Amino acid sequence: MIAIEPMETPRNTGLEVRRYVIAQLAGWGGFTVTYTMLMQLTQPMRFSSICLFIAQNFIGLLLSHAYRTLINRWGWKKLSWGALIPRVTGTVLAIALLWTIADWPLYHYLSEGPPIEGMKLSKTAIFIFSTFNGFWLFMVWSLLYFGYHAFNRARRAEVDRWQMESTVKEAELRALKSQVNPHFIFNSLNTVRALIHEDPATAETMVTRLAALLRYALQAGQLETVSLERELAIVRDYLAVEKIRFEERLRPTYEVEDRALGLAVPPLLLQTLVENAVKYGVGGDPTGVDIVVSASVEEGLLKLSVANTGRLSSGGASTGLGLRNATERLRMLFGERAVLRLGEKKPGWVVAEVEMPAKGAVRSGVEAVA
Amino acid sequence: MKVLIVDDERLARKELRRLLKAHPGAEVIGEAANADEARAFLAQSRADIVFLDVQMPGENGFELLESLETVPHVIFCTAYDEYALRAFDVNALDYLLKPVDPVRLAAAIQRAESQPSGASEGEEAAEPAPRTGPLHPDERVFVREGDRCWFVPVRSVRLLESEGNYTRLHFEEHRPAVFRSLNAMEERLSPDTFFRANRAQVINLDFIEKIEPWFSGSYVVTLRGGERVELSRRQSQTFRARMSL
Repeated sequence: MIAIEPMETPRNTGLEVRRYVIAQLAGWGGFTVTYTMLMQLTQPMRFSSICLFIAQNFIGLLLSHAYRTLINRWGWKKLSWGALIPRVTGTVLAIALLWTIADWPLYHYLSEGPPIEGMKLSKTAIFIFSTFNGFWLFMVWSLLYFGYHAFNRARRAEVDRWQMESTVKEAELRALKSQVNPHFIFNSLNTVRALIHEDPATAETMVTRLAALLRYALQAGQLETVSLERELAIVRDYLAVEKIRFEERLRPTYEVEDRALGLAVPPLLLQTLVENAVKYGVGGDPTGVDIVVSASVEEGLLKLSVANTGRLSSGGASTGLGLRNATERLRMLFGERAVLRLGEKKPGWVVAEVEMPAKGAVRSGVEAVA
Repeated sequence: MKVLIVDDERLARKELRRLLKAHPGAEVIGEAANADEARAFLAQSRADIVFLDVQMPGENGFELLESLETVPHVIFCTAYDEYALRAFDVNALDYLLKPVDPVRLAAAIQRAESQPSGASEGEEAAEPAPRTGPLHPDERVFVREGDRCWFVPVRSVRLLESEGNYTRLHFEEHRPAVFRSLNAMEERLSPDTFFRANRAQVINLDFIEKIEPWFSGSYVVTLRGGERVELSRRQSQTFRARMSL
């Protein structure tokens, strides 16, 4: 099975922004208050020093906000820790220098001496001390910021993985269910029983074809791809069986390019489309249905189409299960490179079309047996 | 018993016909490949039992039944446990799964024989169904509302109420509406049993529990089932004469 890019879960950006603002205010505010109070307990600071400290931290807050803007612009949240550490260290050092420089005039105007009585500090020492402080403060800030996002991302990835898993399981289950249509089986058995008396030879062929069909449904359903040739053989078996049931009400024709036969297709995909055409074609019109199955290769794409006379059922929802299932299998195999369309291409004809990359089929043991 | 087989697949009809050979009491008098053919056949001849495929091109089995005024005994034939058949009360329904098990077929035919089925007793069996006279109390109408279905014997309907183009039928604990006017319904009901109480209601006289005199010589009738129906003044006079009050 092919991995699919996990879908970006819609994020509540408003909530994220609010969380960020609260964390910033609480962080810087908390730091300022706690630090000041601790200092008061040991060695009381001057009032002017406290004002200076508050002003410095306010500048810190602004710088950290600018830092976050850069982080977002450079997309650093997607980087691994290894790539992040040198980048963060460099940037934080630059921020610390910037902070000290921005604080310099404040020292000049606000400070009436060293923060604690009796302290003697040279300007160089203050410069180094302040830069050093800023560096570690911003390193802690970075750790908290990236830590929070890494944690969030991990949690979201887990949710995505669960969702993916359950989608895949559901698809597998649905595929299993739709592989064998009970209506078809029991109606066919009923027909065979009638034929045993009317036409034993046809009854014999019908049992053979039915057996091939059931074996294919049970075995090939587990393969990722089969050759178109193999799938087409089963479609022919299927239509032959249905032709015995519906007699002149079912009129199939084939337009298949030889070079398409060796290409890989998901098993039971074409079969699903044909089954749909029979179901809605024969079911819709008492006079019966024409069905054209075609396959061609164009510009590196394999194009399959199943056309039947009739109208597209108005609701569209009724066609659901089989087609949804087919679409899902295509998506798992080819992602965006495959398309399935259903529509009324020309008046009076419903056409189901599939386009997928033309790739050679791998011959497998099971396929040879089937 | 006269049998009609309705199935869009020729071989399925043939198979059923073959199985019915084992039952001399059941004579296949016709086959139909779709609802139109079945309707045309039933307009001409009377069948006691209809073997009916649910899934058919064009109109399905239910739509066919809804379009009929009264329905014969129906045995549904289906290839697979049909979701649609769950709309019935389990015991109100006969259905066979294809390929049909001969033992189950025998049981279904026996059940059909033991059930009263309209005017089939007596010698007029070969005649087409009467199109104008009143319905026999044992005849059944097919009623579908939402995702529920009933075969309702005429005899068991105690009250019919007009609701615009629809008529609401009261029987047992159900009261579904059918798309037919009360006037059209009344025309086909036997006057021996059914009585027009007022502009909007027809009552089944067999279900009367209590009769009370009401204002200025009129009556209020209570039905078994609880409905109270007020007779119009004019109908009260007729009612008095009818019931020799």
